[in-house]
Amino acid sequence: MLGRARDEAVIVVEDVYKAYGDVKAVDGVSFQVAKGEIFGLLGPNGAGKTTTMEMIEGLHAPDAGELRVLDMDVRRSATAIKSRVGVQLQTAALYPQLTVTELLSLFATFYTRRRPIDQLLEDLELGEKRDAQTKNLSGGQRQRLSVALALVNDPEVVFLDEPTTGLDPAARQGLWNVVRRMKGEGRTILMTTHYMEEAEALCDRLAIMDHGRILDSGTVDELIGRRFRERGVHFGRAGAPSKDKLEALPAVSRVVYEEDEVVLYTSDVPATIGALLELTGRARTEPADLMIRRASLEDVFLELTGRALRD
Amino acid sequence: MLAALSVANLKSFVRDRAALFWTLAFPVVFVILFGTIFSGSSPQYELGWVDQDGGATAKALREAFVANAPIELTDGTFEESKSRMLSGDVDGILVIPKGLQAVIDASATGQHPDPVEITVITDPSRSNTSLALQQIAAGLVMAANLHLSGTAPLLTVRPDSLQTNQLNNVSYFVPSILAMALMQLGVFASIPLVQQREKLILKRLNATPLPRWAFVGSNVAVRLVIAAVQTALILGIGVVLLHVQIQGDPLLIAGVVLIGALTFTSIGYVIASFARTEEAANGITSVVQFPLMFLSGIFFPLEILPTWLKTIATAMPLTYLGDALRQTMVGGAPFVPLWVDFAVLAGWLVVTLGISARFFRWQ
Repeated sequence: MLGRARDEAVIVVEDVYKAYGDVKAVDGVSFQVAKGEIFGLLGPNGAGKTTTMEMIEGLHAPDAGELRVLDMDVRRSATAIKSRVGVQLQTAALYPQLTVTELLSLFATFYTRRRPIDQLLEDLELGEKRDAQTKNLSGGQRQRLSVALALVNDPEVVFLDEPTTGLDPAARQGLWNVVRRMKGEGRTILMTTHYMEEAEALCDRLAIMDHGRILDSGTVDELIGRRFRERGVHFGRAGAPSKDKLEALPAVSRVVYEEDEVVLYTSDVPATIGALLELTGRARTEPADLMIRRASLEDVFLELTGRALRD
Repeated sequence: MLAALSVANLKSFVRDRAALFWTLAFPVVFVILFGTIFSGSSPQYELGWVDQDGGATAKALREAFVANAPIELTDGTFEESKSRMLSGDVDGILVIPKGLQAVIDASATGQHPDPVEITVITDPSRSNTSLALQQIAAGLVMAANLHLSGTAPLLTVRPDSLQTNQLNNVSYFVPSILAMALMQLGVFASIPLVQQREKLILKRLNATPLPRWAFVGSNVAVRLVIAAVQTALILGIGVVLLHVQIQGDPLLIAGVVLIGALTFTSIGYVIASFARTEEAANGITSVVQFPLMFLSGIFFPLEILPTWLKTIATAMPLTYLGDALRQTMVGGAPFVPLWVDFAVLAGWLVVTLGISARFFRWQ
């Protein structure tokens, strides 16, 4: 985490700035990614995730700041770094008239270290489409091919830019498994996403970005735990006890009425629920649809930016 | 790596039907079309033949006309011939008046009758045809006079041609069309480049350790391969179908094709440097190629252009490629010495390379 020794870090980003005209795309970003971890940049479109990632990939030069990958300076050793990392760009960029196998073989010639094409086809379930021209692939297949291209050189670090955008849930799950397998093979992964579930499901650590800045970073538990110690006890609004009775329950800090639910924020869930059941039992009713929820990344994002991520 | 990328580019090119048509089929169609239009060797005239005399001399004259001139005769009365000429079936009318034979016979017996007038009717608004027919008629009648008067000719004209300086139309056009094809091949190189940039293929390649020189090198290599195919196709059609004689040093011709393809491909890179979208690239390419083509003297000799146009044409690289190809392939009269052609093309190459190196964007 923040205290991690620097020599363990595979990616080091330190105080990086990038502006396009008046727009500060990346406005002082710092983070480190340790060997073998999946690090996510989470944020809405236009937050600066892609620009940050592409600067690390050596595709754009930063206006200021330091970028190191595999202990090499990105500006000075771009080619050496490029031969050891794999890149999947947000928009899959392909030669439309080449077949899947031809394209993978072509990219393989750019590197000295290569993985067998057949293995890539198998890992990414592209075997059936091996002789199809890339212009005839479906969105999901194209995305898998794009990831396969990022793996042709058996890279130590993999960059995935919104790898599951536009995929249906099944295809998304499939790609998540591919990413998990990469981690299992010991690769370090830096990915961007604007899906909360994806960040929660895949990332060991993540940084929440908005307007070119990192607002907070850490594991999912850390991010939530830092600002939401309490849990929410949710139950149906119909027939609920009055607000002052609920506020008087033990450990309850706030009572919030949502559309058809009441939420009790509490620092001691068993005490609050026990007292709640006692209260409703006296009235010979019970709370409908009782549920305990901890805060989510969504709540963290809302707390950090004052707006929901999916707008 | 370089080879693999070249093969990939070539495959993409071959599988793209539109590109294939414009770079290979189109010039071929052009050559065949122009060749057919201009190879109708010498023009054939059709004349109405009105024989009002009907004697032996008139018949001999008729045979002489058919045998010695590119003329087809249609017999008929004067009225018939006149209506044929008015409806455009014949280009003119020759009238052999009554009494021709009588005059010839009288002359043979030592008398000196008045000469007989053979009338040639032509349409002066078609000045070329009119002039040609009058000259043909005059020439043949003169020959007949000499023959009839029994005088042996002292002077004759032997028709001959010097292929090297007075090119026939086809020989002029085949190198021109090759020059045009090479120019198009080059400037159209901008389209796939801009496509690949728009589709982020260039960006994706930039994320690999592939050096840029290898990318540019493979693209240029592919253009050169296509240039070789174009050259072979166009020359093949020129030689086999249009009977153009290619007489230059093959290595020199290859050298001209090489520098031409390189120079125009470099111009294609300049276009790709400034065009942001494929549509823009298409537009700029058209805007660039038409003046290049029509202000460059590849389709007509520069001498016939007005001075101001000639000045523009003198700056156009295609003028020099056309000139160099014409000189080396069919021995056409040089517009400038061959080394000047090379120097001008090399100059354009260096300048456009500099511009592309400065302004070409990968993403």
